[in-house]
Amino acid sequence: MLTSIIETDTSAASITTDGLLRQFGSLTALDRVTVTLPRGGVVGLLGPNGSGKSTLIRILLGLIPPTSGQATVLGHPTTKPARYAGDVGALIEAPSFVPGLSARKNLLSLARLRGLPTTRVAEVIRIVGLEGRENESVRRFSLGMKQRLGIAAALLPDPALLILDEPTNGLDPAGIVEIRQLLKTLAAEGRTVVVSSHLLAEIQAACDYLVIIRFGELMFSGPMGELLDKAGARIEVAPEHPADVDRLRVALAAAGWSLEDDSLVVHGSPADAAALNRAAHEAGITLSRLTPINESLEDVFLEMTAAPTRDPVAASQGARKKASTNA
Amino acid sequence: MRELRSELTRLNRRGIWLGWLGLMAVFAVLINTVIYTIAANGSAPPGGGPGVAFPTMATLESSSGIVAGVSSAASMFGVITLSFWAIATASDYSTGLIRLLAAAQPHRWRLLLGKIGALLIWTALATTAAEVVNLAAALPSAEAAGISTALWMDDLVGEIARAWLTSFSASVVWGIIGLVLALLSRSSAIAISVGVGWVLLIETIIKTASSEAGQWLPGTTLTALAQGGTDDLSFAGAVLIGCIYAAVGLIIGLVIFIRRPITE
Ligand SMILES: Nc1ncnc2c1ncn2[C@@H]1O[C@H](COP(=O)(O)OP(=O)(O)OP(=O)(O)O)[C@@H](O)[C@H]1O
Ligand SMILES: [Mg+2]
Repeated sequence: MLTSIIETDTSAASITTDGLLRQFGSLTALDRVTVTLPRGGVVGLLGPNGSGKSTLIRILLGLIPPTSGQATVLGHPTTKPARYAGDVGALIEAPSFVPGLSARKNLLSLARLRGLPTTRVAEVIRIVGLEGRENESVRRFSLGMKQRLGIAAALLPDPALLILDEPTNGLDPAGIVEIRQLLKTLAAEGRTVVVSSHLLAEIQAACDYLVIIRFGELMFSGPMGELLDKAGARIEVAPEHPADVDRLRVALAAAGWSLEDDSLVVHGSPADAAALNRAAHEAGITLSRLTPINESLEDVFLEMTAAPTRDPVAASQGARKKASTNA
Repeated sequence: MRELRSELTRLNRRGIWLGWLGLMAVFAVLINTVIYTIAANGSAPPGGGPGVAFPTMATLESSSGIVAGVSSAASMFGVITLSFWAIATASDYSTGLIRLLAAAQPHRWRLLLGKIGALLIWTALATTAAEVVNLAAALPSAEAAGISTALWMDDLVGEIARAWLTSFSASVVWGIIGLVLALLSRSSAIAISVGVGWVLLIETIIKTASSEAGQWLPGTTLTALAQGGTDDLSFAGAVLIGCIYAAVGLIIGLVIFIRRPITE
């Protein structure tokens, strides 16, 4: 039966989206995004400011409907969020609390809403390292402490799927490392952790899977390792005899390889090394060097997300607006 | 009900205790001081504006004199109730907490009913606080003004219960109006300004233009409800119109809350 096939298909995925489109007036925040995210592990959701990360998360949580397209969370459609709400914990953009209440009372009210035992509150306070401060009013919390409290709130239901929107925002370097470690631990226990960021370096070390969006468009979706291969991994080759440089260029180009201008840098992943060597050999040239060029993921990410498809003036104004509202 | 307990936990904070119950108590004292002083001066009570309806000497000396303050300040108590219902509703949007709440409980009607339930409990508390303070303030005020309290004990329990019920009912309708205004504007400042501005300004203007239409306006209706009926509007009429306001408000509130996307 078709329905059962679909169900078994999506049950292997934590999140699927199919042609997900969201417009705000004339602005397209998400442009027909289709992805399937695995269950288990840490999934990075990357994109520069205003690329639609939070919009995607809001749709997944059932807070806003998509303009068109569908999505599922833990096998259930986002049109029925009540079916999965109990298994999903989320931090959406800035953490939000009642300022006049203590951290503990804030969490208590959320625990009661979810029908959780009150002992869970102390547990999550301990996990995020806020013990000793839990009876203070949230109004007096620093940005980093609020962030921790937001993560604590997301952890309350002991969720199978944890969605954290820029969780390291406002954290000091030690805090960032700590949260990264926490995410890994949570994922190792079998949970799926989706974490958004505009800085690859911040979550690179923790991610198993990556989704990159830019201005609402999906740029990449796949396991971490695939990113390097896909986004311009290169190999530098050198002939045994320097005189053969030009001949080698011609031979490789003839064999279908693409080369960078005036150099012997070939576009290809480390897996292409043998084929490259063979092509050189068939032209009667022995290679003395065959070195993959290791680009940092950050370079790859910047390359993928930098080139503006929109009016750059508008984009920078948007960024400025964002900066001033954050201030 | 989880949503109710959750909301009660959030409302149980110093700002709400001091602000809501405190303001009710302060106005209960003030109104008693004012109505007895005016009555003692022998001056005719100022024409009942939309804010306060001054009782006559005869009312003060009757058995319902002891609760006259509660009835007279009904609009004031109503505006306080409207404000706190609006604050409790709009602050979920201004803090962004609504995202967490709606993600945890996607059946949004349950969230809203939980909130209304919690606010009903608080309105009952606030009404009780106002009435207790009123009882304490009425006797000394009457004595200071030299007004006879001989009949006050005639139907004490009945008068107190009646005053509590009518004042509570009127306040609840005020509160629902505040809730709807806050859901529409997502801002407690706008909701309170519109609510208070309406009673103080717009309703007065409409009443001046057409006293016929004026009887149906919320401020007038709810004052009549709190006072157990007035010359212009019977108690039954006030109850009916009050119920209509409450029902329409609840429906509008539910529809907005359920259907509007949460983009905060
Ligand atoms: N409620 C809204 N009304 C109008 N436009 C909106 C709304 N919410 C988001 N947008 C627009 O949609 C685009 C994507 O916003 P979104 O918040 O999803 O970006 P983001 O990737 O989370 O960015 P950041 O890294 O800055 O958090 C932006 O251009 C934003 O201005
Ligand atoms: Mg965002």
